[in-house]
Amino acid sequence: MIIKTAWKNVWRNKVRSFVVIASVTVGVFSAVFSVAVMNGMIAQRVNAALDEEISHIQVSAKGFSLNQDPDLVISDAAAVEKVISGIPGIAGHVRRTIVSGMAGTATKSAGVEISGINPEEEKTIFSLDKKIITGTGSFFDGDSRPDLALIGQDLARDLNIIRYSVDSLVLGKLREENVPAPVLEKLNTLSGERFANEKKFTRRVKTLLSARETARYGHIIKEAAWSFREGSRFTLTFLDRNEVQVGARFRITGIYDTKNSMFESTQVFVRAADLRKYTGMSESDCHKIIMRLDDSDMTVQTTESLAKALPGLDVTNWKKLQPDLALMTDYVHQIYGILFAIILAALAFGIVNTMLMVVLERTRELGMLTAIGMNKRKVFSMIMLESVFLSLTGGAAGMLAGWIAILLTARNGINFVKYAEGLEAFGYSAHLYPEISFSFFIMATILIIITGILSSVYPAFKALKLNPVEAIRTE
Amino acid sequence: MKILELKDVHKIYNSSEIKVHAVDGVTLSFNEGEFAAIVGPSGSGKTTLLNLIGGLDMPSSGEIIIDGTNLATLKSSQLIDFRMRNIGFVFQAYNLIPVLTAKENVEFIMTLQKWSREERDKRTFELLKAVGLGDRASSRPSKLSGGQQQRVAVARALASRPKFVLADEPTANLDSRSAATLLEIMEKLNHEEKITFIFSTHDPRVMKMAHRVITLEDGQVVSDDVKEA
Ligand SMILES: Nc1ncnc2c1ncn2[C@@H]1O[C@H](COP(=O)(O)OP(=O)(O)OP(=O)(O)O)[C@@H](O)[C@H]1O
Ligand SMILES: [Mg+2]
Repeated sequence: MIIKTAWKNVWRNKVRSFVVIASVTVGVFSAVFSVAVMNGMIAQRVNAALDEEISHIQVSAKGFSLNQDPDLVISDAAAVEKVISGIPGIAGHVRRTIVSGMAGTATKSAGVEISGINPEEEKTIFSLDKKIITGTGSFFDGDSRPDLALIGQDLARDLNIIRYSVDSLVLGKLREENVPAPVLEKLNTLSGERFANEKKFTRRVKTLLSARETARYGHIIKEAAWSFREGSRFTLTFLDRNEVQVGARFRITGIYDTKNSMFESTQVFVRAADLRKYTGMSESDCHKIIMRLDDSDMTVQTTESLAKALPGLDVTNWKKLQPDLALMTDYVHQIYGILFAIILAALAFGIVNTMLMVVLERTRELGMLTAIGMNKRKVFSMIMLESVFLSLTGGAAGMLAGWIAILLTARNGINFVKYAEGLEAFGYSAHLYPEISFSFFIMATILIIITGILSSVYPAFKALKLNPVEAIRTE
Repeated sequence: MKILELKDVHKIYNSSEIKVHAVDGVTLSFNEGEFAAIVGPSGSGKTTLLNLIGGLDMPSSGEIIIDGTNLATLKSSQLIDFRMRNIGFVFQAYNLIPVLTAKENVEFIMTLQKWSREERDKRTFELLKAVGLGDRASSRPSKLSGGQQQRVAVARALASRPKFVLADEPTANLDSRSAATLLEIMEKLNHEEKITFIFSTHDPRVMKMAHRVITLEDGQVVSDDVKEA
């Protein structure tokens, strides 16, 4: 009866309750949705780091990670792999040979880390093979020629391997991306011209388009307009085991795109056999053994058991290699909780205000109820329930709206193309797929109920202070 | 059988400098089944007296004993519970919860007392019929006239079979026809349910229907007339 009465009381002043509920709805919606966007962003970044860049656990010779001395090898990789296969929870592992060096073309050069890999093995734990830009080649597929290299899009750009031009194909692509016709017309005047690098192309595009158009479509245009001559070559220079500088021409077998500029512009992949040939390493050696786990949550435990099993080697994991990501994944729920609590605290003031008005307006009725025998506990719970209903109705609506918005945007992602360069510089994709866990909704519901209860305490106490005689006095 | 006794009850209001002796040495007793009116000029202390009897206010001195219980011995939470179990109230206005239907209003106290659904339904229907509103059970107060609202309030006051019903000027806001109907219903229920009614009034026609008329002046009982049945 109390519950029913409280619920009906909520709808007594429809406009006022609606305003409160609407504000809670908007607040909860924005909290849920921004948490989902943040969450999606972090999940994407973490997954990219694990799937494309570092995987879960890495083993190397002691000291190798500090100075990458090519001489610090894991000298009997097979024996180490045997130990690894005895540790449970490891989904797969690869060997890598790693040297630091320079990548150069006639006009440009850049510092890089060259990884010697076995392409088929790599596919079992990394997904870089799925990140090859269409039309640029492949992940060492079906090409057994020696001295092939896979490089990132940003390195290709840095080395001026990429050319820019606008032709009908490019214009068609841009039309699909909803670039407006006037912009396309202006770009059309570029057809027939070729630009040797990004800088020249950008400078030219800026003279054609307005500042707003450049800001809005610049990135899309750059993405569409570049092309690459298959089989282009560049030089890799590095030290061999005897610290003698060696250089070799490598043919580009493919260009990958990972949304992480840092990684793209520094990580070059070649076949391990090619690298051994130039550095003089033996086939039984490698610099790193990288492992993927069945369950990411087991990272720390598995690292410990590996460290125990391999006392002569360095064992590290993604949480140590990318402490920023580890921090985010470990504390992100607390951060969401705090964010949510702050929004709810702001909403609570509105609820307190409304409930004070409710108590004031119903002075006589509350006095009458106390007179006829409704005890303090029941009066208190009636006011409290009313407040909880207000917050929970708004909260439920906000969570529902947030959930729908997440479902709608998660399918195709949200495109932050305008900020793409900034985001990708930090390894975050410009295409965000919001996601949220069910447990967040449970936490949100609990917090919303607590908000309702807390914001009713003061008004409910006011209601208890009412003296029935005074309250009922009709003069 | 004596159900209510007042022994030398005083109520003094000490608001600001003026001391108001609102009830000044009242000694009265009521038996089961009475139909008594408290009358007197405005400011004579009728409301104050009814509030004291109903345990809504505490006397400055004297004793109020309801069915053997001295109200002064009850803690405030016990007092609320005592009111719920023993006393029915009808106020001049604001008797009903506007968001509930007539039926739900009548049921309210029975629900607080955890009556079973069947008992509640039976009693509510019986009472609404008795006050002539059997067909308005699902109407909200705003859809009822002032007289009908007061009748619902009477039904609500009687719902949990209290020892007596207190009504402070229940007809004050009603036209004379509605007032007469309400009084007839109260008298009928007094007769049928053997429930004591104590009500205050200004209205001479209402006074006429009472079986006992207690007249107050300046907080004192100046006459107490019992009519022969
Ligand atoms: N809370 C209060 N504080 C101070 N004085 C009060 C208070 N309540 C009542 N009084 C005074 O007590 C006296 C009796 O008031 P009461 O309301 O009982 O009279 P009444 O007979 O019910 O009058 P009416 O017929 O106008 O309703 C009045 O002089 C009134 O001013
Ligand atoms: Mg009065």
